[in-house]
Amino acid sequence: MTTHEEFESIAALDAIGAATSGEATALRAHLSGCIPCRRARGEFAEAALMMVFALEPVRPPAFVRTRIIAAKEEAERRFNPWWLAVAATLFLALWGWREFGIRVARERDVSQRAEIERLEHENALLNQRSEKLSAEMAALAAADTRTISLSGQEVAPSASAKVFLEPSRRRAIVFFTNLPANPNDKSYQLWIIRADQPKPMSAGVFDVTQSGNASIVIENLPVATEIKALAVTLEPRGGVEQPTNTTFYVAGNASM
Amino acid sequence: MNTSVPAATLLPAIARGDVSAFETLYDRYASTIYALLLRILCNTDDAQEVLQETFVKAWTSAKMFDALRGSEVAWLISIARSRGIDRLRSRRIRYEREDEAGREISVRSSFVEFTTGSDMAIQSQERTAVRGALAELPEPQRRALELAYFEGLSQSEIAAKLNEPLGTIKTRMQLGMKKLRDRLQAFQ
Repeated sequence: MTTHEEFESIAALDAIGAATSGEATALRAHLSGCIPCRRARGEFAEAALMMVFALEPVRPPAFVRTRIIAAKEEAERRFNPWWLAVAATLFLALWGWREFGIRVARERDVSQRAEIERLEHENALLNQRSEKLSAEMAALAAADTRTISLSGQEVAPSASAKVFLEPSRRRAIVFFTNLPANPNDKSYQLWIIRADQPKPMSAGVFDVTQSGNASIVIENLPVATEIKALAVTLEPRGGVEQPTNTTFYVAGNASM
Repeated sequence: MNTSVPAATLLPAIARGDVSAFETLYDRYASTIYALLLRILCNTDDAQEVLQETFVKAWTSAKMFDALRGSEVAWLISIARSRGIDRLRSRRIRYEREDEAGREISVRSSFVEFTTGSDMAIQSQERTAVRGALAELPEPQRRALELAYFEGLSQSEIAAKLNEPLGTIKTRMQLGMKKLRDRLQAFQ
């Protein structure tokens, strides 16, 4: 273990830069907690300064003073807050430009995601339409398909409809033509008048555009013998439980 | 010391950007620092360059000065010695390389331009006393101290240079420093 006397000897060497790195490290650690050795280190430092003070002073040439003052001003310019302000402004400008770029890229990304979602939704609608068309084609081509014609009534004399009924699958497809476009607050509703029930049964709600054409697929139909007639009324948008009026647009009996 | 501005006020004033305080600092200590650098580097061009580096460093780092850890002149000497030894070492490496290339180099080609007896870092009677203290040291001790302090040599480098055992060199330096300290305390 190193004694105070040994640390004092190391301090003597350290004051003139002659302690080894290991000795210097050990001394620093010791000085932090030893006041007498710290004082001794200070005394040796002052003794080392005596070696400088013993030298005969030498006045540097006058131009050195001028050069040092100029160098100081140059160093001052390098540390001038004005330059710092310019540097900070440039940094902020570059940072802002980068942030702007990131923001634009993010907005572009959001826009592209929205476009992808829109296309996916459109694709889903097209798939649904494709499935509906496939079902309609299958119904039309089925061997047991029955056809029921509905004719235009007083409010739409040129209108008509064709019902293709698949009894085996209890499914029907109805094509409407020349119906007037329904108002925005109204929907057309197809009713089945059953032989076994006094009240009409809703078969579906549909809209007609300016083209006058529309089609709906009816699932879970009553068995064919229970269907007495079909008729279409104009009802509040979304349809109702029971018809609110008796103004039929197209209608027809199911018996053939 | 006999100066119009108290020494301890210079570096804090310089830290606040006081140019006249900087000029006073230079006028007060430049001769002492330049003498130290000439002693270390033995070359006026190098000594003047490091003198410039030292005072510019003092200007830019004045706020780092801590009066509790030592005097202003001790702080300046510490900067100058450190940079002077660095310059000396890099020059040694350069010369060694040039020597390897077969060039003839004059290491100490130039010397002091002129000297003056004026100095503000220490009074002349104190200098005389300090020189007396150094002169009282046995030559081997003084030589070992000078090689360490002014040439930045390590214990083993000094031992090799003087062709002495490492332990002997170490003891010489420790004894020399203790004698210097005792003499300094005797002045006070």
